[in-house]
Amino acid sequence: MRLMITALLVSLLLGPPGAGALQGDYQIGILEPLTGPLAFEGKRHLEGFEIMRDMINERGGIMGKRLVFAVGDATDPTAAASEANRLITREGVRILTGTYSSTLCGAASEAAARQGAIYWETSCVDPRFAKRNLPNVFRTEIDGTGFGWYNVEFVAKHLAPRLGKKPNELRVVFLSEDSSYGQGVTESARNRARDELGMQELAVEYYAFASTNDFTPVILKFKQLNPDVVFHVARGNDAVLFWRQSREQNLLFKALVHAGATGYGSPDFGKALGAEGNGPFALLEPGPGFRLEALRPEGRRIERDFREAVRKRTGSYPLGGHQLAGAGLWMLKLVLDRAGTDELAAFRTAVLGLDLPVGSLINGWGARFAPTGQNANERVQHYMLQWQDGQLVTVWPEEFSTQRAKWIPLGPWDQRK
Amino acid sequence: MQALPQLVVSSLLLGGIYALIAVGLTLIFGVMRVVNFAHGEFLMLGMYLAFWAFTLWGLDPYVTLVVEVPLFFAAGLLTYALVVRGVIGASHNVQIFTTVGLSIVLQNLALVAWTGDFRFVRPWEASVVLHAGTAAFNVSQLIACAVAGVLTAGLVAFMKWTHTGRVMRATAQDRDAATLMGIDTDRVYRLTWAMGIAAVGAAGVLVAPLYSVYPTAGLQFVLLAYVVVVLGGLGDMLGALAGSLVVAAVEVAGSYLFGTAWKEVLYFVLFIAVLVLRPAGLFGQRGAEMLGA
Repeated sequence: MRLMITALLVSLLLGPPGAGALQGDYQIGILEPLTGPLAFEGKRHLEGFEIMRDMINERGGIMGKRLVFAVGDATDPTAAASEANRLITREGVRILTGTYSSTLCGAASEAAARQGAIYWETSCVDPRFAKRNLPNVFRTEIDGTGFGWYNVEFVAKHLAPRLGKKPNELRVVFLSEDSSYGQGVTESARNRARDELGMQELAVEYYAFASTNDFTPVILKFKQLNPDVVFHVARGNDAVLFWRQSREQNLLFKALVHAGATGYGSPDFGKALGAEGNGPFALLEPGPGFRLEALRPEGRRIERDFREAVRKRTGSYPLGGHQLAGAGLWMLKLVLDRAGTDELAAFRTAVLGLDLPVGSLINGWGARFAPTGQNANERVQHYMLQWQDGQLVTVWPEEFSTQRAKWIPLGPWDQRK
Repeated sequence: MQALPQLVVSSLLLGGIYALIAVGLTLIFGVMRVVNFAHGEFLMLGMYLAFWAFTLWGLDPYVTLVVEVPLFFAAGLLTYALVVRGVIGASHNVQIFTTVGLSIVLQNLALVAWTGDFRFVRPWEASVVLHAGTAAFNVSQLIACAVAGVLTAGLVAFMKWTHTGRVMRATAQDRDAATLMGIDTDRVYRLTWAMGIAAVGAAGVLVAPLYSVYPTAGLQFVLLAYVVVVLGGLGDMLGALAGSLVVAAVEVAGSYLFGTAWKEVLYFVLFIAVLVLRPAGLFGQRGAEMLGA
């Protein structure tokens, strides 16, 4: 009896079974913009990494060790490179992850490559990222080409029938901020819409996100062109400004489609406009309305636990930054546990050996990496969300969602309630 | 041709907003010959004041303006005493590095205090759309534009017809001579700086209903404000107003005719041309660029 009580006390002192087995720390480097203009999203990614780190440690850690972070502030591309160097040479990390932005991931990953470290990107979507023949660079998230592909797929398969048109009868305009992200998504969407589906491209407009204070000239042009669909890749304030000024100028289009966690994909859009922002679509990770039952059992478990952990820490449903960072870090754990080492050759073999179908991971993702280090776009399942009464809800693909798209076509501005 | 009325109205209203933001910078540069690189951050602080007053107490930005002016005037006095005064006699390089430093400090203080989230001020009037013929515009834009006109006229009158204004102009023309005439130039600079900060703070409050509020919001406008100051005549109030309208017209017409990507190319070509052909600016007196140098 005494032995039983002693064993019970010891086990209580050691904590949960998974955590108790950890032997030593395993440190990786986290690079995110934590100050400067990109910090609002960088901090959200860091929060996602921290939540997932705690989940991983509760589930046996990484390679049997407790996962810990050395964090660097990648406020711009120069800082991203210098912080990557610092984390590798001073903190001794062998794996770096981050950096959220397409303006940062190129510089950070090249610095890591020069130092012989592994670079594990969880968020940036610049299509050029995985085309540089860098054997130490990997990306779990879709690339910009995939975003463009999904957006056009949604318009052709879901919107066109509801608008009573064939895809080649749709009149479309493209509007985008001019970063590598915006250009990558827009150009891939243009290529597919125009060349593969024959959509009628009426205009393409790029603008500098940080210095555009008035969209009226663009809106006047669009009014004259009378488009059915506006493809708009926005970054922040520009989404609110374009939407508000379109309303002021009574620009009527049948649908607006965006890609990514910024602009229309950011919760800030809903905060700014409430129900006045009803209607636009944003291609994202899943949001409210996402059907857990559509996932495989292992995906359902980790998705449910991650959602719960995010809700516990932030009080809300996981946002894009949380989801990208969390999913990417969980995938890194799976790879390291398979490889059993962070030596590049074994690590790379483990990455290329992953073959998880859609629905196996957080966000309903799967994994199948190409030799370029890019996770296959068709495994990184993405979802179309729509702003409905101040909330982004998952509306497509319909088999993954309990909600349905509304306002197709978008009616007059005062009738979108 | 059908779009012309809207393009004209948009140019006037956008020009009004640029003038509103540039007037404080013009005043400080005109009298003190200091290029205030922290100008955008004081604009951002004005926007945050409008945001918090609206969020916490439901105060309309136009009511907040009453509080803003004395508050930012006091902030101007404080930053002058702590930062600017020490470098007023130093080289332009030192002044530039000091105000850039101040800018970074204020940006990051805002980031730490209020996070990098975008915030929004949506008083009832922000949703009101007015029509003039075929042109449509937002009432907040109209008010910001009107205040820019009143503020510019008020400052021109102040500089021209008050004793303090004359003292400021004398100091701007020749600091040493002004000192020899018994003018307390330190007091003049203190007052000028505080007035400039109060003006840009007011601009921040007035543009808050139109744009998002975030720690680097000022950067969206400040480059344009420098262009406006140079085009207008390096310290000339009416010139800055005219320069704002020119920049806005080039931006709006250029975006419409050639595409949005061309707007900055166009107004910077104009900017360089003016610097080369008429260094004193479109409306400044010849030699103004050398004053205080």
